[in-house]
Amino acid sequence: MAVQSWTDILKFSKKTALIHDGKRKIHYLFTDGKEMSEEYDLKTDELIVRKWRHKSTLGAQSQWQVEVGEPLAGPDTSLDSEVIKENCSNPLLMRKDTKTSFQWRIRNLPYPKEVFSVSVEPSDRCIIVKTSNKKYYKKFNVTDLDRNELPLDNSALSFSHANNTLIVSYKKPKEILTLEQELLKELKKLKGTDEGDVDCKTQ
Amino acid sequence: MATTKVPEVRDITRIERIGAHSHIRGLGLDDALEPRQVSQGMVGQLASRRAAGVILEMIKDGHIAGRAVLIAGQPGTGKTAIAMGIAQSLGPDTPFTAMAGSEIFSLEMSKTEALSQAFRKAIGVRIKEETEIIEGEVVEIQIDRPATGTGAKVGKLTLKTTEMETIYDLGNKMIDSLSKEKVQAGDVITIDKATGKISKLGRSFTRARDYDAMGAQTQFVQCPEGELQKRKEVVHTVSLHEIDVINSRTQGFLALFSGDTGEIKSEVREQINAKVCEWREEGKAEIIPGVLFIDEVHMLDMECFSFLNRALESDLSPVLIMATNRGITRIRGTNYQSPHGIPIDLLDRLLIIATSPYTEKETKQILKIRCEEEDVELSEEAHTVLTRIGMETSLRYAIQLISTAGLVCRKRKGTEVQVEDIKRVYSLFLDEARSSQYMKEYQDSFLFNETQTPSMDTS
Repeated sequence: MAVQSWTDILKFSKKTALIHDGKRKIHYLFTDGKEMSEEYDLKTDELIVRKWRHKSTLGAQSQWQVEVGEPLAGPDTSLDSEVIKENCSNPLLMRKDTKTSFQWRIRNLPYPKEVFSVSVEPSDRCIIVKTSNKKYYKKFNVTDLDRNELPLDNSALSFSHANNTLIVSYKKPKEILTLEQELLKELKKLKGTDEGDVDCKTQ
Repeated sequence: MATTKVPEVRDITRIERIGAHSHIRGLGLDDALEPRQVSQGMVGQLASRRAAGVILEMIKDGHIAGRAVLIAGQPGTGKTAIAMGIAQSLGPDTPFTAMAGSEIFSLEMSKTEALSQAFRKAIGVRIKEETEIIEGEVVEIQIDRPATGTGAKVGKLTLKTTEMETIYDLGNKMIDSLSKEKVQAGDVITIDKATGKISKLGRSFTRARDYDAMGAQTQFVQCPEGELQKRKEVVHTVSLHEIDVINSRTQGFLALFSGDTGEIKSEVREQINAKVCEWREEGKAEIIPGVLFIDEVHMLDMECFSFLNRALESDLSPVLIMATNRGITRIRGTNYQSPHGIPIDLLDRLLIIATSPYTEKETKQILKIRCEEEDVELSEEAHTVLTRIGMETSLRYAIQLISTAGLVCRKRKGTEVQVEDIKRVYSLFLDEARSSQYMKEYQDSFLFNETQTPSMDTS
């Protein structure tokens, strides 16, 4: 079954857990060399950050790519300023999930709610945000559904607008909810070192 | 308006400096590989140019690895020029690495490491990679220069597609390349986000009715659709050495402790060779064997020569071109004499191209080409005199006199270099023969001539 395959990939990955700063941090190393890192809140068990890193074809290590949570703003972003980067006044998309739904927040969108239209494009497997004033357009995938090869459903989608922010929510389907619960159970079994250094084998 | 434009022009047009071989544009051969007497900056040396043309065809085919060619001849007979001609005819896609024999002697790196790096720089791998590009129509481009004239420029670029609009902050490098490409509102452009490379696709159809003076080759294109940023597969050529470097960086926090010694482990190289072969079999990548040119090859020592023997046998080896101006001389690092200072066993693997001294007519032709290159006008008599100087002293000395004579001529407000100008610089600057003569005559009055006395031999 397709759902199985992603759970299998998760199962066979090398996991390292660490509890720090009130967060449970888990690092996954997959068999194909990709890395994923997740952070869960210790109290609420909510997913705060999920980021990915993989090697390019030539073997160079790429930067971490944030899937869920605040985008990284490190010294590396200022390094690129020699070339080109988005102005800070541009709309900014970030994903921040709740227990029951996937949620995307797009900041810096100072237009009234009527301007926006959000829809599901089943053929491309993505959600499209459009503006009637032609100022913003964004296509994005629901990565969790892609990984588990679940269909997208228009009725699960809703959006609201407040404080210059557009919030797009997509209700998590049953399969995802059960998967997440199982995974969390599994992760809690992982022996994470409390506060402090991970055992580092000296050579 | 004209006054405000001046600094901008200075920004854009870079002065190209004229090098010793900047007049060479190719080997000057026709389709049947027959050399033309004067073509693409090359004069004479018909036999050696034809030989180089054959080698060029071999390189272009790209099937044969690890061949070596030696260009041998007296100083100033166009050895480096022939190598440059080959480089120019190969085009930008075939890797051409030029180095001097003495470059490999470094305290930071072993000689063989430097040689293997040079070898691997000369092998290209053409591979597909995904990059992020920005594609859109320019709405507005705004560049602020600081009032003082110095300091960083600040720029903003607004791009749009049919669906959206985004403002970008521009870095200094980006501002320069935008003004160099003369990008303006209404152009449809793509920008490679990682490298900042800009390419103009054309002008937007919506601007077609604007009254504007534009060239006949201006293309009109549709405004792009959808998102501004896209991921696209691009094909590009990287050298094996670049892949080595990417993969040999120490990862993680250990990188902080290991200094960059510049040496690349042989295991890394082996892994990459295996990987590249795998890519090639899967059809993902294509290997482009290039050319490694080692000038002044007699500067290499015995160890390097034996390394070359071995390295040429690898199937991932480029075509090696070497040049030397030595006759029978000692091989560096040994006490043996050998032709060109190269061991016989290596010479045996080489194809040797000989260059011969130029005739008077050819010298005259070369001087004429150099005059054009250096933008100096020569009168007929001055040209003849300079040719004589070139024949009697050396071609290089005569070439040196061109721009100096040009300067002297300009100082006396002349437009064309006359015989007097040549005479003047000839008296001002000594050539090698006259300088030696002078040394012999005034040997005793120079400093340190006492080292010649036998009393210093005790050390």
